[in-house]
Amino acid sequence: MKAIIATTVFGVIMMFAGLWVNDKKSIAGLATFLFAALLGVTIWDLTTTSVNSPKSLFNDMLRSEHYSLWFNTIMTGCSLLYVLLMGKEVQKVGKYVSEYFALIFFILCGLYLLSMYNNLLMMFIGIEILSIPQYILAGSDKRNLKSSEASLKYFLMGAFSTGILLMGITLLYGAARTFNITEMVTLMHSDALNPLALAGILFIMIAFSFKVSAAPMHMWTPDVYDGSPTVFTAFMATVVKSAAFFAFLRLFQVSFNSLSEHWVMVLAIITAATLLVGNVTAVFQQSVKRMLAYSSIAQAGFMLFAVLAVNAVAWQGIIIYAVAYSVATIGIFAVLVKLKDYTYDGFNGLAQREPLLAFVTTIFLFSLAGIPLTGGFMAKYYVLLAVVQQGQLMWLVIFALLMAAISVYYYFRVIIAMYFKAGTPEISSPVTGGDKFMLVVTCALVILLGVLPQLFLTKV
Amino acid sequence: MDVLMLSAEQNTPFNYFPIALQLVIAVGFVVVMMLVSHLLGPKRKTEDKLINFESGIPSVGNARQPMGIKYFLVAILFVLFDVEVIFFYPYAVNFKYLGKEGFLEVVLFVAFFLCGFIYIVKRGALEWED
Repeated sequence: MKAIIATTVFGVIMMFAGLWVNDKKSIAGLATFLFAALLGVTIWDLTTTSVNSPKSLFNDMLRSEHYSLWFNTIMTGCSLLYVLLMGKEVQKVGKYVSEYFALIFFILCGLYLLSMYNNLLMMFIGIEILSIPQYILAGSDKRNLKSSEASLKYFLMGAFSTGILLMGITLLYGAARTFNITEMVTLMHSDALNPLALAGILFIMIAFSFKVSAAPMHMWTPDVYDGSPTVFTAFMATVVKSAAFFAFLRLFQVSFNSLSEHWVMVLAIITAATLLVGNVTAVFQQSVKRMLAYSSIAQAGFMLFAVLAVNAVAWQGIIIYAVAYSVATIGIFAVLVKLKDYTYDGFNGLAQREPLLAFVTTIFLFSLAGIPLTGGFMAKYYVLLAVVQQGQLMWLVIFALLMAAISVYYYFRVIIAMYFKAGTPEISSPVTGGDKFMLVVTCALVILLGVLPQLFLTKV
Repeated sequence: MDVLMLSAEQNTPFNYFPIALQLVIAVGFVVVMMLVSHLLGPKRKTEDKLINFESGIPSVGNARQPMGIKYFLVAILFVLFDVEVIFFYPYAVNFKYLGKEGFLEVVLFVAFFLCGFIYIVKRGALEWED
């Protein structure tokens, strides 16, 4: 709860900082400091809450469970990493640097609500707080038509899916007569097969699938991720997506767990479609940025496994997947913004010009592809383990492994371009010692996640 | 009627029957009215009737012209403050019940709103002259 207050206040501070401070560098410095402070506040929240007794806040509107607070801490850590890696690039997007940071703080406020909500209304507000700043960030490069297109598309599609979500909440309320997700469990059980409740679950599932860009609700993702300024794509594709997944899992684990036989098949088909569409379409892309958009769809397919498996391992799976995927993707985007040409050819010969950049990119791509000793491997291991333990969807697990093999192809194309093709990549901004240091830290994190995943799961 | 009362006790889709009935009547009313006036009313088509109505003035040009963003901005900001006022109504109704704590919460809400207001004034969103 302290984190929610802190991030709101920090957001307002950033807004006003833009009025009185004109120097972009000091604004970015202030933002970095505030993100570090926010990480401190989330850790404070985490240490002052006991493991076994969740605190109920605001008349049971929120419930600060230990794993929620741990998720908050990790995601705030990822945001800090993001700002340290890309703070310089954020300054280049446009005039209103302090507002960009303020919006990111507000997005984090939505994230905290989504990890702790105990009431469907809070979930709805959380999703809105998470989404609306993103619509603005997507269109923040005002002179670029693609950016405006991304913003408008995202806004219209997002508003539409919000409507579906509200409809689902309404139907659920009609069936269970409560918005409280823990009370809902018993009430829905009493009349076993209420068609209203089932329709509500389906609507909410579709709305969430939209937010996490699962097929066939993924159509907006490539255009929005491709059109938005690259720095903000990095944030949208990682921290925000993880938050939406956490909320998805929370609702389906806490409330709809006992009804899983009714919805699990629908979600399994959505998962299979997501894996297929994401991976196969990514193969045909020419631009690395667009490939990463499709890869984020494919990774969403894997994260859906955690929602499918209604058991305790799923929590561990979603947390480790969120952090492994976020760290590696933020790293790749940090390299991508340094390049002028976003096509595969733009990476040709990077290993000769910037050997360190090429090396860390290789590690990040290994992680996304799920090669052992990187975070991505452990992440895939945990989510697949969760589904194997649940035991009904073995066909889906095998299908996912096949799709992971396809993903190796398009990730490795980048590595081949960097190491085995001749060329002189154009660097848009000089790579300083600080950049290199942060990239090495990120790279170390990816490997640490692969070697000692328990470090990130002790609190779950 | 008994059936309706009985079903209200349980939680079934049948509870929504009155709503469906109301929808049917609402849509039916509109359709019937339009059909009846279409069939019974006299028809006289003239040139003047077919052009767009613009407060009685002959229409000028195309509507798709670029327009100052200020109008839009003012309209949007108006909506914000309008909604703020709407929040006061439920508070006013429960003023005594919510007591001191409720008052402080409303003050907090207004303070946040004021922050936003100061921000937009300082950013120059309300300056009309370029």
